[in-house]
Amino acid sequence: MKNRPVPPTPRMTLPTQLVLRVMLADPAAHYYGLQLIGTTGRPGGTIYPIMARLEQVGWVTSDWEDPAEHITEGRPRRRYYRFTDDGAERARDALAQAYRPSKQSRPGAGLPWPDLPGVPT
Amino acid sequence: MNQPAGPPSSDPLLTGLLARITSHRPGADVQLITRAYQAAARWHQGQRRKSGDPYVTHPVAVASILAGQGADDQTLCAALLHDVVEDTPYTLAAMRKEFGAEITGLVAAVMALEHVPAERVAAACADSAAAIALAGDRRALMIKLADRLHNTRTIRYLPRAKQVDKSRQTLEVLVPLAHALGMNSLGAELESLAAATLRGRPGGTASGRLLAAAAVLLPPQERARWRAEWLAELDVLPGRRERIRFAVQITLGIGRLATTLYQPAAAARQAFGVVLAAAAAASGLVVGGWRAALALAATVLAVLAGVLWVLRSDDRTRRLAELIRAARGLR
Repeated sequence: MKNRPVPPTPRMTLPTQLVLRVMLADPAAHYYGLQLIGTTGRPGGTIYPIMARLEQVGWVTSDWEDPAEHITEGRPRRRYYRFTDDGAERARDALAQAYRPSKQSRPGAGLPWPDLPGVPT
Repeated sequence: MNQPAGPPSSDPLLTGLLARITSHRPGADVQLITRAYQAAARWHQGQRRKSGDPYVTHPVAVASILAGQGADDQTLCAALLHDVVEDTPYTLAAMRKEFGAEITGLVAAVMALEHVPAERVAAACADSAAAIALAGDRRALMIKLADRLHNTRTIRYLPRAKQVDKSRQTLEVLVPLAHALGMNSLGAELESLAAATLRGRPGGTASGRLLAAAAVLLPPQERARWRAEWLAELDVLPGRRERIRFAVQITLGIGRLATTLYQPAAAARQAFGVVLAAAAAASGLVVGGWRAALALAATVLAVLAGVLWVLRSDDRTRRLAELIRAARGLR
C-alpha cells in the first residue's frame, strides 16, 4: 500500500470508459445518475463512484437542477453531471490511450461496445 | 341480475354501505342502490386496486363518503358506477337502458371532468355557480371530490412521483373546488392529506432508509449531497422491486465511493491499517503469546489489502464475480 497522490486521470476501467463514451455522445448535454445507469447498464454502485472520481479530477462537474424544471414535472430535483470546459477533450484523449488493440487478453477486450450514435469507434 | 352472491345481505361490502346510507337518509332507494352495486361488482370483477383490494371497494368507498354528505340516490348510484365505463366493456348506452338517463348523465359528467384542463377548473373555483356550470351538475363535482378523497386516502400505494403530482393538483384545484361547493369538511381532509404527502419524508421507505444508512460511510461533508441525489432517483423509480435493487446496488458500491471520496486521505487510511494491525497484535500478545500476535497482525493486514484490492477496481470486482459464478457452475 504505497501512499500515492491523486492521479491526474481516473483509472480507465471498462465501466469508466462506458460512462465517458455515453457522455461523449453529446458532450454539451447534462446527464443524471439514473440515466447513466440505464444507458450503460451498470449498477449504481459502479456509476456513482465513477462520477465522484470524474468530478475529483475535474473532467466533470455536477449541479442541482433548476427548481422550476422539477417542480413543473412533479418530481424531486436531479443532480446533473456535465463535462467541464476541457473535460470532454481530456476524456477523449484518455479513451484513445486506453484503447490498446494489441492486448487482446485485457479484461473487457472483445466485449461489445454499446451502439452509440455519433461516437467514433 | 346474475350476481353470484345471492341475497344482498350476504355481501358485507353492500350491507355496510346500505347501513351507512339509510342511517343518513332513511328513505333511500335501497333496491336501486343494490342494483348499481351489483352491476359495479360484476363489471369490476377480477380487477384490483393498487393496494391489492378488489376494485369494487373503491366505488363503494366513494359512495360511502357521499352518503355521509347526504347525497341522493342518483348520486350514490353514479358514484358506484363512475369507473365502470372507463375501465370495463360496459357502455354508457347500456347504462342508460339499465339505470336511466339521470344516473348515466352524472357518470358521463364525471368522466368528462377528467378531461377538463386543470386551469379551467381552477378558474371556475372562484364561485360555486361557475364551478357547477363547468360540470353541468353540482352532483358530478361532488362525486369527483369524493373520488379524489378516497384516492388520496390510499395514495401511499402509488409511486412517489405520482403521489407528488396528484397531491399538488389536489391542493391547487380540488381543495378550492370543495370549498366553493360548501363541502368544507371534505375539503379540509383533502387538504391535510395532500399537504402531508407533499411534506412526507421521501426517505421513509425501506430503500430510502438503507441508502441513508449507507451514506454514513461517506465523508461527513459529502453525505447530504449523495443522500439527496439518490433519494431523488429513488422516488421516480416506479416499483418497489426496482427501488430495492437500486438501493442495494448503491450500498454494495458504497465502499468504492467512500474510498474515492476519501482518496486524498490515503495516508490516513494507511495509518488506520497499521493501528488496526498493531491493536490486533497487542491483543494477540495478551491472549496467546507472540506467535498469535504475529498471525493476527498478518491476518488483519491481508484482509485489509484484499478488501482494498477488490474495492479499487471494477474489473477486479467483475472478475471475482465471474470466478464465483464459474465455481458455482462447476459444482
